[in-house]
Amino acid sequence: MKDKNYHSIHITKDRCIGCVHCMSACPTKAIRVRDGKAVIIDELCIDCAECLRVCPYDAVHSHTTSFAALDVFAYKVAIPSTVIYGQFGAAVLPNEILSALRRVGFDEVYDLSSICELNCAATEEYLNEHPRPRPYITSTCPVVVRIIQRRYPTLCGQILPIEPPREIAAKILRTILPKGLGIPAEKIGIIHITPCPAKMVSINSPASLDRSYLDGAISVRDIFPQILSALRKSEEDALMRHLFPETLLSGIGMGWPLSGGETRGLKSHRAVAVSGIQDTMRALDQVEAGLLQDIDVLECTVCPDGCVGGPLEVENRFLAKSRILELVAAAGEHAVVDQKDASRLYHKNFLSFDHPVTPVESRPLDRDPAKAIRKARRRDRLSADLPRKDCGVCGAPDCRTLADDIVRGQASLEDCPFVKKKKEK
Amino acid sequence: MSAEEVYRQEFPVKGGDFAKAGAVACLIKELLKDMGLDPKTVRRAAIAAYEAEMNVIMYAWEARVDLAVSPQEVRITVDDRGPGIADIELAMTEGYSTATTEMRELGFGAGMGLPNIKRNSDDLRVDSQTGRGTRLEIIIRTNGHVTT
Repeated sequence: MKDKNYHSIHITKDRCIGCVHCMSACPTKAIRVRDGKAVIIDELCIDCAECLRVCPYDAVHSHTTSFAALDVFAYKVAIPSTVIYGQFGAAVLPNEILSALRRVGFDEVYDLSSICELNCAATEEYLNEHPRPRPYITSTCPVVVRIIQRRYPTLCGQILPIEPPREIAAKILRTILPKGLGIPAEKIGIIHITPCPAKMVSINSPASLDRSYLDGAISVRDIFPQILSALRKSEEDALMRHLFPETLLSGIGMGWPLSGGETRGLKSHRAVAVSGIQDTMRALDQVEAGLLQDIDVLECTVCPDGCVGGPLEVENRFLAKSRILELVAAAGEHAVVDQKDASRLYHKNFLSFDHPVTPVESRPLDRDPAKAIRKARRRDRLSADLPRKDCGVCGAPDCRTLADDIVRGQASLEDCPFVKKKKEK
Repeated sequence: MSAEEVYRQEFPVKGGDFAKAGAVACLIKELLKDMGLDPKTVRRAAIAAYEAEMNVIMYAWEARVDLAVSPQEVRITVDDRGPGIADIELAMTEGYSTATTEMRELGFGAGMGLPNIKRNSDDLRVDSQTGRGTRLEIIIRTNGHVTT
């Protein structure tokens, strides 16, 4: 499935009271309040979920996969984001969480830290082979990819064309499991578990793959209670399990969900990590202005502190971060990936994008430049007439955006309560 | 070209205002995108505007940046009050810089400003009077490109 207009973020109309919280928080000004309800402009939405974070009425929800929906698969495989390791406090080890997921109902569960390490090794090779352009921008955060396609189209060629760990892991499993298990590929469901609603967008509408290797994404928030109860039921066993770790965790990959974690393992390249939507946009503005060329790779994640700040996690992000840092410290520089394996997969193009990320059509004031220029002039005149209070009562996030909507024919000057009052006098 | 076909906007820039570095270039970029210029033209203009803005912030006291956009070209004029450029030809040489150590420590002043503006424009005029100021006129032709 490849749906250009697929979005994970939606407004629940029944709950929306038409306040302005989501509208003011939206970094791309994609929300308007029309007829007392928030509506999202599809072309502008990048699924960053800032609106979901701020809505006081729980009226913004994200479409993620439900556990029940996995019943269509004969064999269910989970590949949870390593964020999951930070959700259950300091006493619960990653291996217990993975085995709890098996008891929840997954036939097999795979740790992603080794694949994170693999991605890092591939990134290193790619940067070695491609001295230009600089900086490359990592593609793990699907929102960053989408924002580049829409707002920084000339930077599409600077997206580092190595698939993120979740897709690489799913691709590997899709290759080996059907043969190993003797189950047809379509009967095997490979599911990501994530604190991020945008992963659903990268699955349903991939920017660099012909088709995602994942069958869905379950939110950490949705599956948390089941994992917790599975953990509680096996507290006694856990003590024993500690002594027989089933999975080797990668020290290099473990820190992946923290800002800077994706590039921490790079040995011979200069990386800078940026997190948070506003700072990411500032950094991308700088790259577009020709700056930061002395950096080899720019790691951007739009959630604060990285994926660990994802909107669909349960644990407070600072505690989760602290827990993951403990795990990183415990794992040290432990590597589980053989460099030769990584190099072979890389050179087979097994880890690369299917195709480059391409710009998404922008939204000029008019297709005809002369008309667009006239509209821009009119927009400036309108802006000067508006009160610049950015109150949001008109249904647009600020006065400038109202002026923009007016010249696009989607609003009228009388929508502004101040202008209306003045006219009535 | 009739006046109705030109979009004009002016922006003030203050010398030494490093906190706002790049703000005007960003505004110009957004405006050009709204006017449907093709992304490559927008990026060239953004780079040229950024370098010009940084020159003001680093060396001049204040400036006015005038943007004029027609379907055929983007014209960015930067008129500053400042020390001026004593030797324009030298200033156009890649790597030549009069930046202070402090500026270089901040990552500025690599001596790529004017050469970079030249590279990203179709026409560049520099007039300067030592002790009074500098006027840059940057022209980027659009070839009437529209975003598709």
